[in-house]
Amino acid sequence: MLSFIGRSFIQKIITIIFVSVISFLIIHLAPGEPSQVDPLNPKFTPEVVERFRKEFHLDEPLYKQYLFFYQDLFTGKTVSWKDNQSVLKKIWERFLNSLPLFILGTILTWTLSFPVGIRSAIFRGGLYDRSATFFSYLLISIPGFFFAYILIILVVTRFHVPVLGMETFGISDASWPSVAMDRIWHLLIPSVLGATAGIAVLSRYVRSQMLEVEGQDYVRTAKAKGLPPDTVHYKHALRNALIPFVTMFGLILPGLIGGSVIIESIFSWPGIGRMAYEAILARDYPVILTVNFVSAVLVLVGTFISDILYMVVDPRIRI
Amino acid sequence: MIEESASPPDYGLEQPLAPRRTRLEEFWLLFRQNRLAIMGLIIFILFFCIAFTGLLLTSGSDPVFDPSLVRLQEKLRAPFSKPHLETLRPNEIPTLGIYLLGTDDLGRDVFSRMLQGAWVSLTVGFVAVGISVIIGIFMGGIAGYFGQRHIRLDQVLVTCLLSAGAALVFFNQAKWGAVLLVLGHAYIFYLLLMRLIAVRKIPPKRFELLHLDTISIDTLIMRLVDIMLCFPSFFLILTVVALLPASIYNIMIVIGLTSWMGTTRFVRAEFLSLREQDFVAAARALGVDNFRIIFRHMMPNAIAPVLVSATIGIATAILTEAGLSFLGFGVPPPHATWGNILSDGKNFIFDAPWLTFVPGFSILVVVLAFNLFGEGLRDVLNPKLRERH
Amino acid sequence: MTIRRILIFAPLLIIIILLQSYFWVPTYEQQTRGNPNRLDDYIFASGGDASILNPVLSADVPSSRVENLVFDSLIDLDAELRYRGRLATGWQIYEEAYFYVNPSARIPGLDVTVPQAIVDLILDAKQDSRKTDRELQDSLDNIKNILVQPPRNFSEIREVKLEKTTEEKRVIKFEVTAPARIKMVLNRVDQELFTNLGRLLGHDYFSSFHGEYYVSSDVPLGNQRLRAQAQEILPATEHNPVIEFHLRPGVKFHDGHIFDAYDVRFTYQALMNPKNLSPRIADFEPVKSVAVIDPLTVRIVYKRLYSPALGTWSMGILPEHLLNSQALVKEAIRFNKDPGTFTMRDSRLIRNPTGCGPFVFRQWKSDQHIILDRFDDYWEGPPNYKRYIYRIIPDILTQEMEFYAGTIDSYGNPLGGIPPHQVQRLKNDPRYQNFSGTSLSYTYIGYNMRRKPFDDRRVRRALGMAIDVDKIIKYVLYNQGERTTGPFAKQTDFYNHRIKALTYDPQRALKLLKEVGWKRNSAGWLEKDGKKFQFTLITNSGNDIRKAILAIAQDAWKQIGIDVRTDLLEWSVFIQERVDKADFDVLILGWTTPINPDPYQVWHSSQTHPYQLNFVGFQNKQADELIIKIRQEYDHGKQVEYCQRFHELIAREQPYTFLYVPKWTAILDKRIVIKEQGADGKVRYKKIEPTKTGDYTFHFNKWIKLPDEPLFLNEG
Repeated sequence: MLSFIGRSFIQKIITIIFVSVISFLIIHLAPGEPSQVDPLNPKFTPEVVERFRKEFHLDEPLYKQYLFFYQDLFTGKTVSWKDNQSVLKKIWERFLNSLPLFILGTILTWTLSFPVGIRSAIFRGGLYDRSATFFSYLLISIPGFFFAYILIILVVTRFHVPVLGMETFGISDASWPSVAMDRIWHLLIPSVLGATAGIAVLSRYVRSQMLEVEGQDYVRTAKAKGLPPDTVHYKHALRNALIPFVTMFGLILPGLIGGSVIIESIFSWPGIGRMAYEAILARDYPVILTVNFVSAVLVLVGTFISDILYMVVDPRIRI
Repeated sequence: MIEESASPPDYGLEQPLAPRRTRLEEFWLLFRQNRLAIMGLIIFILFFCIAFTGLLLTSGSDPVFDPSLVRLQEKLRAPFSKPHLETLRPNEIPTLGIYLLGTDDLGRDVFSRMLQGAWVSLTVGFVAVGISVIIGIFMGGIAGYFGQRHIRLDQVLVTCLLSAGAALVFFNQAKWGAVLLVLGHAYIFYLLLMRLIAVRKIPPKRFELLHLDTISIDTLIMRLVDIMLCFPSFFLILTVVALLPASIYNIMIVIGLTSWMGTTRFVRAEFLSLREQDFVAAARALGVDNFRIIFRHMMPNAIAPVLVSATIGIATAILTEAGLSFLGFGVPPPHATWGNILSDGKNFIFDAPWLTFVPGFSILVVVLAFNLFGEGLRDVLNPKLRERH
Repeated sequence: MTIRRILIFAPLLIIIILLQSYFWVPTYEQQTRGNPNRLDDYIFASGGDASILNPVLSADVPSSRVENLVFDSLIDLDAELRYRGRLATGWQIYEEAYFYVNPSARIPGLDVTVPQAIVDLILDAKQDSRKTDRELQDSLDNIKNILVQPPRNFSEIREVKLEKTTEEKRVIKFEVTAPARIKMVLNRVDQELFTNLGRLLGHDYFSSFHGEYYVSSDVPLGNQRLRAQAQEILPATEHNPVIEFHLRPGVKFHDGHIFDAYDVRFTYQALMNPKNLSPRIADFEPVKSVAVIDPLTVRIVYKRLYSPALGTWSMGILPEHLLNSQALVKEAIRFNKDPGTFTMRDSRLIRNPTGCGPFVFRQWKSDQHIILDRFDDYWEGPPNYKRYIYRIIPDILTQEMEFYAGTIDSYGNPLGGIPPHQVQRLKNDPRYQNFSGTSLSYTYIGYNMRRKPFDDRRVRRALGMAIDVDKIIKYVLYNQGERTTGPFAKQTDFYNHRIKALTYDPQRALKLLKEVGWKRNSAGWLEKDGKKFQFTLITNSGNDIRKAILAIAQDAWKQIGIDVRTDLLEWSVFIQERVDKADFDVLILGWTTPINPDPYQVWHSSQTHPYQLNFVGFQNKQADELIIKIRQEYDHGKQVEYCQRFHELIAREQPYTFLYVPKWTAILDKRIVIKEQGADGKVRYKKIEPTKTGDYTFHFNKWIKLPDEPLFLNEG
């Protein structure tokens, strides 16, 4: 076990180094430069642009820029080109904003997809199962931005309440329960949108896992013993079908950052996704690279956790 | 499925039980029970035809449906509305006599634009997935078939030498770079020469270190897959597309290059199991060369999961393209795509909702069709799932 | 089964909790009912976030918008677009002019070249009113004071580029034995002074002055190079315009510190400090010195004639006591940074600014909002609103929906206001009032005149005539725009209203093109010498109206047989790869038009190199002369004359097809009004009226939102 952890740790470190190199190359070899060196501003002279380039090390050879960048990143000194703020601090701030969205989205995904998936598996082939299948594909196929606008327009024009942003603007002086409820309301639509695809995929997965387990001998035995079907389904089958889902806990971790660029932009939700999108527009390289790096780290940590969870949960796996 | 599959008629015991139907027939029999998948297939074919006719009718210097014809005075007309003929020049009158799907903010016919956009969506889907499938099969095939072979230390060193040389040349250190490059090539030449002259000569002892095995090809490729999986894919695509000049080809290539990992894994897994099977061993014993074994014998058996994931991949690629267009990084105008019709139209959602709903629902229907079709394929092609129905 | 029940009831419970939150959220009307403080907040939504809240370090529009509220400037523009004093109560502009005594020149009617003799000559001429030369007389009358500066010796160290091909510079020390110099103080700035004095002192008196006779270098330089250097060290003549500001006493910064002339000087020094990388440095490069005369008077001397000079001082003034080098060192030590490399850019204050404007900075969350509180000690009296919130909402549709929901009071970008199609819809809504005005910008199609066939004026004119601009204004802009014919702001005198815009006439366009040799071939495309007329039209992405024009222009040109391809490029790629390198055929772009005209950077022939703003490659001798004159003229009437002539010339040459000046429109809730307290202490409400120039926010500090829409008596 320890040796497995050690080996996989080293592997992940090597992977992360390669990821850092590749993402750095992609961004720096592409045309275009940060907007701070925007020369069309009549107020900028070429000399000023040149000085900006020097300030940002843009005139150094690439490998030196790489070293400068990751040295700064690990000492926490990286600053955004756009506003000179510490990138890590910025990401942390935005992360805290994305967190409620992520948590509610995850809760919705996991609480809704299990009942739906289990029921489809039990009534396999029935009308319920078939419509659930159809609806889950519908949810996967719907373009998120289209859906988002339909919902927003509906709410704004029919109910006349604000839905965008993290809270109703200018409400800060109201009593605390209404502020709290206001926040929940603003969370609702973006997190439902963020969860749609997840619900669809996960419920399909739950269904197939349940089917897999229901076909096993011990379930048949239990049924044959004459146990009530509910006990068989929920006690014998469900418990064993749950095993692979334990490992999925690790894999939802990257969703924290990857989040949703589109949903956050539409809802003007000040989360990480929107920050990343804005950084791309402004060519704020430090932010783009750091977000990329952090999300790669999260992916690796996620797979690592899920590997370990798998070993803990399933006694058959021993490496 | 509730209805029993058309079970074979009673065979006498003496008769062989081998199926009389070809694989394709059997496939079709199974497939057509899945009504959703059939629906998907029909829409898929319909979409294909529309995209093709769209391409024919909207391109050229004087197309039947001109998607870029601007009629400012006819802006934002609702679907099925009749044009104001008195304000139009003869070449501006819509081909169908009415604006079937309305007009947009510049008075361009949305129907023509949707036709043109269908082709873009189709090609983006197919080319992107084509790229990813080709890379995936190639990588997966190598990893699965040659996986156990190891890369020797000298090969690693030569690669390092060559890339270091190239890097030095790139950074204006041409002299040292050239030296390294020449050294690297000399070594490759030497190896080739050795192979030609002395077949399987035992290498002298002092060179043994150079022939040490490092990592296996399989590990190398799977690590590459891991690295690629680390990137947040939509964010990566967005970054690259934003940095590169806007062009439909860049989008296809970028989507293709960031989505081959799944295929690689499937193909590798299939190959790992297939290569142990008897028919492969037999082929090898007959002296069939590696590439024939891979492409003639193993690939047809490994293609099923690839096909499924490719179908669903097309759906995802169409969605991704629409998302990129929506954020303003898609195909440059005036070329229409469903994504940019939608993203242009959303500003007018209160004035002209059809500009949002027409492309939105089209994307939805097409993507849904691909997904359902893919799902049907999966059910049919996967023998394990098949038993249960 | 409990598990089953949990599986069903848990999601149900969550969904119910989520849905019931709807009943807590205020609707548009309740916004003000349940939460009275909302009336004291003004919330503005903008597409872009500020970058740095320091007027010296940033020049982008969103930052300026907030800076204008936090910082106050010496002067600004009043309702009639004239300068008015803010932190300055008044100012004078005059000139100090110098010339070196030229011993080698012969002055008519004078044998000796003693400096005093020249002074006497000039003074005599000034007294002598019999002279018929009016212009000379004007210049002489303008001289207030004249005196001789004795010869002096000094040395100067300069960096000199030794070879033309290399970028390498060498440091060279020059020994100078300057001859006597004559200083004149003028009542007003006079760019013709030396030309006119030439009539008195001899035409070549100034041009025959050889600076190199008085200069020697420690490294031998060629004759030519030495002359070039000497011309910079000892210029024969020199104009030094001077601006003297008288400051308002008793103005306080937000931290209570009193504002004085040292703050003005410090702002200038901060701007010029190379460590600060100020983007406004080009505006202040002509400044020679800024001197504090007394705490309430500051004198700014310029190196040369630079007529936009006064306008540059409408920039916010920084607090010296918080940002000077001692303060920065203290801050560096407090935050454990290296004081040696710590600059104003690293200071905490660029995100927490302190100024002396009407609003005090409180909070800034990147890409979300900036909150400002009112400043109760503001010298003009505090604003009515207690808070100003600047929200960042990038998407136009989102802004509109937030406006409907009542969570913003106003929105739109500063140039175009809100998009035309929204104006069309919101204009007739009884809940809102709207204002409209001509904006200070224009949109154009620019032709790369380095390339054929755009080097021909007739081709450019024909292309312009093929586009129906009126239709664009009517349908794309919903009449939210006006035609324009030249590069000056339409609401200023500099714009020449006599010039007619090109009329839409594709037939005449074809005729013009035929004159040049372009004829339609069998397929209907224009052709000349077997070559099809084709080119690429580009613009930047992210601007819907430019995108629409792109499609319209392509279609319009296709109608007359030109094969146009289009490309929409992301802003930075567009600028860096295409505009800067002049790698384009035709492009669509816009300029903002400053109130003070300075066409130098966009139109002068010296500015056609890569990375400069005359990227269309417009070169015209006559235009160059006019541009320099405009730049040096301080007299409004004369400047207007030069500008109108320049405008005429541009209209003739058609380097751009000038399309339109957009109108901005702002929509406000009708409940927002002007609240004034009269001398009798009675509160009076007035409807918000835009000023003559269309600026509706001019009286912003007096605005307030009322719980109900007021009824005005004068309203029908």
